[in-house]
Amino acid sequence: MNQPAPDFQDFQRAFAHHLRDPHHAPRPPGIPARRAAIYGELLFNNICGFLDKCFPVSRAVLGEPRWRRLNRTFYRDWPLHTPWFRDIPREFVRYLETAEIATPRPAWLSELARYEWAELAVDIMETAIPEHDPQGDLLRGVPLLNPARLDLACAWPVQRIGPDYRPRQAQATHLVVYRDRSECVRFSEISPVTASLLARLEEKCRASASGEEILLALADALHHPAPQTLVDFGRAVLEDLRQQEIILGSQTL
Amino acid sequence: MQAGRPPRGAGLGFRRELIGELQAGVPECISFFEVAPENWAGMGGRSARELRAFSERHPFVCHGLSLSLGGIAPLDTALLRRIRQFMGEHGMTLYTEHLSWCADDSQLYDLLPIPLSKKALKWTVDRISQAQDILGLRIGIENASYYAAPPGAEMAESEFITRIVHDADCLLHLDVNNIHVNSRNFGFDAVEFLDALPLDRTCYVHVAGHWVEADGLCIDTHGADVIDPVWQLLTTACERIGGDVPICLERDFNIPDLQALTAEVEQIVRIQAAAPNARRKAA
Repeated sequence: MNQPAPDFQDFQRAFAHHLRDPHHAPRPPGIPARRAAIYGELLFNNICGFLDKCFPVSRAVLGEPRWRRLNRTFYRDWPLHTPWFRDIPREFVRYLETAEIATPRPAWLSELARYEWAELAVDIMETAIPEHDPQGDLLRGVPLLNPARLDLACAWPVQRIGPDYRPRQAQATHLVVYRDRSECVRFSEISPVTASLLARLEEKCRASASGEEILLALADALHHPAPQTLVDFGRAVLEDLRQQEIILGSQTL
Repeated sequence: MQAGRPPRGAGLGFRRELIGELQAGVPECISFFEVAPENWAGMGGRSARELRAFSERHPFVCHGLSLSLGGIAPLDTALLRRIRQFMGEHGMTLYTEHLSWCADDSQLYDLLPIPLSKKALKWTVDRISQAQDILGLRIGIENASYYAAPPGAEMAESEFITRIVHDADCLLHLDVNNIHVNSRNFGFDAVEFLDALPLDRTCYVHVAGHWVEADGLCIDTHGADVIDPVWQLLTTACERIGGDVPICLERDFNIPDLQALTAEVEQIVRIQAAAPNARRKAA
């Protein structure tokens, strides 16, 4: 049986609606305009603080009025259930990716925002690094991918976008955003082939396949005429990824 | 899991902006730090390592922001379980939250005043009890600052707080800046209000600075130095509760260098030292 909501909650709902959408949802009776406006300002500034900090490039390319309009419609329209402040930027990315938004914006904005968010996400990602040998053989051993990492497959060259560069042509771009051993966030642009190797590593290393097995399986999938050539090429790619700390070494099993 | 380290003396809100200076040495007067779990729990990388380096050597207090004790949506039990784990990880023994709400079905991420009605009282007491059951400890509830008085009040705020503390069997987290700000914005006597609170249940005290708008409205920003009337109110509070309740300086915006904050923490230590040691018992 549904009990009617207590009347104090009617006030809370009305006030919350008004604070999210001050121009359309009426101010609850008994709340003076000046005081409601103070709340509206405090709450919206608070949200904008989290967004401004995470998305400096998106903000700069959109310009202040459009950026604030998107911040406002996000706060007004997007359900926010997470209690963690660090998740507010992630929710903003999801909003840009999936919500119906009236504000006109560049086709690449949601990819740019995801790229900017990735820096924050990787910086604070909670990960446990399994035991590994940093110098281990990456062909005979099982390569260990850096777990504090996000692989981004973008249709646009998001890493170059800024107030001075707004691409009109899509250009497939693969990026790895990761935290190195000194806990700094680094960005690396990789080739499509390296990206598909990373995807396979991600999938197969959990099944304890060696680097060589993974490369041979990749050669097989590509119907490569000379699998050993691909293995030799792959060894160099794996070593390069280790150099960058995208691969941490070989797993100690 | 760290052994519990209860806070005592004077403390400071732990901010990323201060870590560099604090790594060079924690000033003598700072006996503990305070963190918001919503900013620090479940983080990896540098943040986690730096927090741990401090929590291994200093007591920390867990001061929540997002629990929405008076809110509409079901109490966030996942958040509470994560807070319990976080407190264990850092040896924290004290958790406090605001007597406020910050979400209907969706988060607003700021503190709003609870209507002072009997139904709201019961609602909030039940949620505090639920929170205490999940955390396995008594929590402190903080008297919040507010800028509008919700309609439907059936009692004074001090009575609301007193009954909540009694009915939920929880503790009082006293914020003297919030009392000052509210007393200015709503024209009541701060000391009278203070004296109407269940001070014998005080587990923790906040002191902070605030902002004054052109029309005189005080905004609880934690972005300025503590002003003399708030120091005076803190002194009065310590005369009532004694000098052995931990007191924390909050500073969240316009953060000055550590030296300036240290001077304010030293002021807290002086006020605590001048207060009677025996806590006043409930009448």
